[in-house]
Amino acid sequence: MNLVGHLNAFVAVAEELHFGRAAERLGMAQPPLSQRIQRLERELGVRLFDRSSRRVELTAAGRMLLEEARDILERVERVHTLAERARLGETGALRAGLPPDLGGSVVAALISAFRDRRPEVRLDLREIGTTGQAQALTDGTLDVGVLRHPCDGRALAFGPMLAQRIGALLPADRPVDGPLHVADLAGDDLVTTPREEAPGPFDEMLAVCRRHGYDPPNVHEARNTQFALGLVLAGTAVALTPRVQAPGVTWHPLAGDPLNQRVSCAWRRDDDSPDIAAFTETATAVLCAEADMTPLSPSSPTRRVVPRPAFGFLA
Amino acid sequence: MRRVEEAFRDAGVTGWLHAVDLDSGREVSVRGDEPVVLASVYKVPVLVAFHRQAAAGLLDRTAPVTLRPDGRTAGPTGISAMLDEVRMSLRDLALLMMTVSDNAAADAVLARVGLDAVNKAMADLGLSRTHIAYDGRDLHATLLEDGGVADLGELWGRLDEPGMLARLRVLDPARTTRSTPREMTRLLAMVWNDEAAPPEDCAQMRRMMGLQVWPHRLSSGFPYDDVRVSGKTGTLPTLRNEIGVVEYPDGGRYAVAVFTRSPLPLAVLPQADAVIGTAARLAVGELRR
Repeated sequence: MNLVGHLNAFVAVAEELHFGRAAERLGMAQPPLSQRIQRLERELGVRLFDRSSRRVELTAAGRMLLEEARDILERVERVHTLAERARLGETGALRAGLPPDLGGSVVAALISAFRDRRPEVRLDLREIGTTGQAQALTDGTLDVGVLRHPCDGRALAFGPMLAQRIGALLPADRPVDGPLHVADLAGDDLVTTPREEAPGPFDEMLAVCRRHGYDPPNVHEARNTQFALGLVLAGTAVALTPRVQAPGVTWHPLAGDPLNQRVSCAWRRDDDSPDIAAFTETATAVLCAEADMTPLSPSSPTRRVVPRPAFGFLA
Repeated sequence: MRRVEEAFRDAGVTGWLHAVDLDSGREVSVRGDEPVVLASVYKVPVLVAFHRQAAAGLLDRTAPVTLRPDGRTAGPTGISAMLDEVRMSLRDLALLMMTVSDNAAADAVLARVGLDAVNKAMADLGLSRTHIAYDGRDLHATLLEDGGVADLGELWGRLDEPGMLARLRVLDPARTTRSTPREMTRLLAMVWNDEAAPPEDCAQMRRMMGLQVWPHRLSSGFPYDDVRVSGKTGTLPTLRNEIGVVEYPDGGRYAVAVFTRSPLPLAVLPQADAVIGTAARLAVGELRR
């Protein structure tokens, strides 16, 4: 029997708990789907679903096998991905993700430095946000990435953590006397990269802003840096970003540097390819030299955390 | 349950949920069979094992226990936070363990029941994927050792250092006290259906879970005067959990288990607490349709 196809049917029905919806999801009719499940149950010698009532439910055996089935399907998917890469002759290519707002000169410097170091490896660069990179790395459709922290990276390994100072981008004609505090922005709308691209840094930035007395009335999410710049130029919103130079706007550091952007290379924990190591070293060096980033040392001052009972140890 | 997933995503967490109607058996699951870290939710298995032993005559629930101030298991509440010697019955220690998640009280109860007995009770109840690895004291020691820190304040402050989260064994379900959302709602179902222990013991367990003080998680999802929410929270850095039972005046009873993990290294994260209630309400709403 085609075990993979049958397991696929099993997982679909187990997730939908409804033969009609599962059939729709698989793009097949319901009777052949039911036959597939019956054949699989005969093959395995156990009932996977209780269909006694009007509802479909997993049996204890079905629940036990579901995770294994998912695992097998994921591995099969990976075999196909690897095979496709081999077929396309891409085993000599390194698929790397970069955040959308990195800047043209940084990207160019990175490509050039990597080419000098590993001329035999073709660098396949893609512009992807942190969430997309973490997902693609886990799926195996990306080999290495440069992503922002904090992010959900349980399956990933990370290179050296780099920090980039964040300041406020204001219209050039807006008067600023002395050092600019976050609270001085009170009342201004904020424009920043979309939350879905990197929810961790987005939530963290807003939490720090509120903590320092700036609760933006509106937060505009701009995918495109030119759009964000437009909102700043028009006086509609201020941006909190790493240093930017553009006509009509001025970048101001923030007093006390309450905000920074943390970035590192990331790859699958089980992938120890030397190309990834070379990319990580190159990218880390280029980001420090070209993008105003500095390595975050473990001796950086410890954040102050005041314990509260409801969030305390084993509460 | 796409809406539950959306709620988790909006709150910036990864979430695991299992909810079941205790009477019809209908259920809602979002990764409900994946292993999760229990954190203080492990006090529910300890409570169940305690009552099974008491019912079997293996221990006297009213036996007084003296807890000296030196060397108490760390924690922010109850006897863990007290300065003087305390003398209390085992069942009242269990009450503090459940209502304010008192770690010193929990370790005193667990010391009397025995770790192996708790794991055996879970196995006897058919919960094969539930495992209690250590008591609160050893968990605390493991956490500080893995983090290379002197205390929890320092750990929180250094949580976003590269590699720190990956080093902490107590956050990895494969290497610490664990279960699955489904097994936790199964355990609650047995407590609410008088199957986990004799009926009078199950009634005592339900009473204690109904007296839990925390308003910020499961309870926050059901802001209704006529609905009873009983539960037990669990908290470790980046992890926020609660399992409990929601009871409506029309007789509807729903066991819910919600486990979350946040990428933010922040101790105070109200949206991550509140989404436990929101996700539970969405799941219970689905079961009540």
